[in-house]
Amino acid sequence: MEFAGLVNYALFMAIFICIYALLALGLNIQWGFAGLFNAGIAGFFAVGAYTSAIISTAPADGRIGGFDLHFVIGWIGAMLAAGLVAWPIGKICLRFRSDYLAIATIGIAEIIRLVIKSEPVLTNGARGISGIPRPAGDMGYMESQIAYLIIVLAVLIVAYVLVERQFNAPWGRMMRAIRDDEDAARAMGKNVEFRRLEAFIFGAALMGLGGAMFAHFNRSITPEAIDPMVATFLIWIMLILGGSGNNRGAILGAAVVWIIWSVSEIATDRLPHEYAVQAKYLRLFLIGLMLQLVLRFRPEGLLPEPLRGDQRSTKSGADRH
Amino acid sequence: MKTKLFALAAGMMAATALASVPAQADVKIGLIGGVSGPIAAMAPAMIDAAQLAVQQVNEQGGIGDGEKLVGVVGDSACNPQGGTDAATKAVNIEGVVGLVGPHCSGAVLAAAGSVTIPAGITLITPSGTSPEISGLEDKGTVFRTVPSDDFQGRALARTMKEMGYGKVAVAYLNNDYGTGLANAFKAEYVDELGGDITQFAAHEEGKASYRSNLAELAKGGADTLVIFDYGDGTGLTILRQALENGFFDKFVGGDGMKSDAVINELGAENLSNFVSSSPVGEQSESLDKFNEAFKGVGGDPDAIFANTSYDAAFLLALAVEKAGGKKEDVAAAVTEVSNGEGEAILPGEWKKAKELIAAGKAIDYKGAAGEHNFDAKGDVPGTYALFEVGSNGFEVVTEMQ
Repeated sequence: MEFAGLVNYALFMAIFICIYALLALGLNIQWGFAGLFNAGIAGFFAVGAYTSAIISTAPADGRIGGFDLHFVIGWIGAMLAAGLVAWPIGKICLRFRSDYLAIATIGIAEIIRLVIKSEPVLTNGARGISGIPRPAGDMGYMESQIAYLIIVLAVLIVAYVLVERQFNAPWGRMMRAIRDDEDAARAMGKNVEFRRLEAFIFGAALMGLGGAMFAHFNRSITPEAIDPMVATFLIWIMLILGGSGNNRGAILGAAVVWIIWSVSEIATDRLPHEYAVQAKYLRLFLIGLMLQLVLRFRPEGLLPEPLRGDQRSTKSGADRH
Repeated sequence: MKTKLFALAAGMMAATALASVPAQADVKIGLIGGVSGPIAAMAPAMIDAAQLAVQQVNEQGGIGDGEKLVGVVGDSACNPQGGTDAATKAVNIEGVVGLVGPHCSGAVLAAAGSVTIPAGITLITPSGTSPEISGLEDKGTVFRTVPSDDFQGRALARTMKEMGYGKVAVAYLNNDYGTGLANAFKAEYVDELGGDITQFAAHEEGKASYRSNLAELAKGGADTLVIFDYGDGTGLTILRQALENGFFDKFVGGDGMKSDAVINELGAENLSNFVSSSPVGEQSESLDKFNEAFKGVGGDPDAIFANTSYDAAFLLALAVEKAGGKKEDVAAAVTEVSNGEGEAILPGEWKKAKELIAAGKAIDYKGAAGEHNFDAKGDVPGTYALFEVGSNGFEVVTEMQ
């Protein structure tokens, strides 16, 4: 094992953690702030990934686009498209209470996956889209990974700062009020339906951005990537373990879960040769076990939701929402 | 409790770090497969077949000066997330000289795009059939030992035209396999050969009845139904219901339909008008050698993609030997050891190959699944034949060009 190899592996993990952290941040807006149980993360992830792919690839026969535009336009387009898709879904589904919403969103993610698989004109169908340009992709292996890490890290920091501001702002308090006691919030004159929709769309836009960054990193996107195991449930585990309602917790959860997920394979590979295939399932078991332990012993997550009252004094009149 | 959790995590990582010091002087190749995930049932046989090649290499002198070849198994879970993760670990942590796999096309595209092409590592997939893989800008590092879906669809169209089939309806399973085959078939049959496809429809798998689909397909007046599906799954249901209701007279299937389940369930006497295409190992001696060896280690030689996996691993080993263990030369060496020129090497003949390479002679690997003479895109042309149902199961009607 060479040192350069370790660095490359670490860079790769860091990039994946940043992408997953974005997805977890998006989920934190929906679940952590607003209490919306979205079990269809994969759907918004896919919308973002495909939108950006269509916008930024070279023109191709037999499908829409590509439009060969700059990747930044692709990423913005991904956020807009994911938000746009979330709007009618939220409009209809957010009337459901949490567990019904979960069922509805699972169904919607599945619909999105099937549409993507079945509409070659839109997405090239089951074959997926390849040849997506990676920013700074022309450099050497390590340099290109470093450059991409800098880009995704910058995006993650910007997203974190913005979401954190929202969380500390009156908007954040209002969302939590709606989450914890809908009737009380309504009695205070808050427009509960509208606010929920807002949180749902913001979260979905971040998930779309995560999807776009994933597609550009791999230079391809195929329907196989919209696997609920790695594009929905893994993110839920990250947020629950990290601490829902806490943005830093979401990012920490993404890091911890991905590192364990990825590094545990190296550990299980040390088992005797004849167990090489079986050992792969140990990882799945480990993730499940971890979730069980966290839920049993630390249901609030590694970094619990901060209680703001002692940290910030509310200025009168600031709560105008 | 927080400290306990951190201690647990830290302990695991420390254990990993300690455990991952490699033994020196081993040459490693990555065997990346969909161990967990949708093809979990197929993957073990594929990995075992690749390990058989590794075992034969080690029994007959190893790589270079008797260095041991080691196959490092990685789990791509049949998705891009897992595929890139496994490939990154294999390339950077294990330091492999080349990869066999990943198995699923999406994982191949992602692993090639983000790991092996930038790192200059050779990748040979035994089962990624998506035509998109041909189009990768891979600097000659991506190969496959299985033909692209394009080949079979086009070959079947040409053969059917020659045999005088007229108007046909096409029913295909809505996944990358069915879609890829059906589109290639359509492109050749209609656009190149001027044939007539009356209906062209995808179906979802696992429904109890496809009678409404069949009624729709029969509307254009075609007498032949072409089915791109699996004969032990939905394809069987469609074929049965089409026979029962007399929607069509003649039936043609892709390689997925050449399943014994079709004969067992429907009876050979009802299948006189059914033909299906399937890849055949042209060098039957090669295939026999592989089958025998794989049976010897307790494997099932008929397992799907077992022979392509074996070929991929053996080819990679030959290329590594040819390149003298230099990672950057492996890709070029893959085409050199299997370009149709030089002394023929059959599966398992590692010692002979090693001696020839040492003597500087050209060799040509003739694999269990075909000759594997790669074209410029790293693809192999398939060798296909059309099969009909006879008294002893499937029998060859004609070779397909």
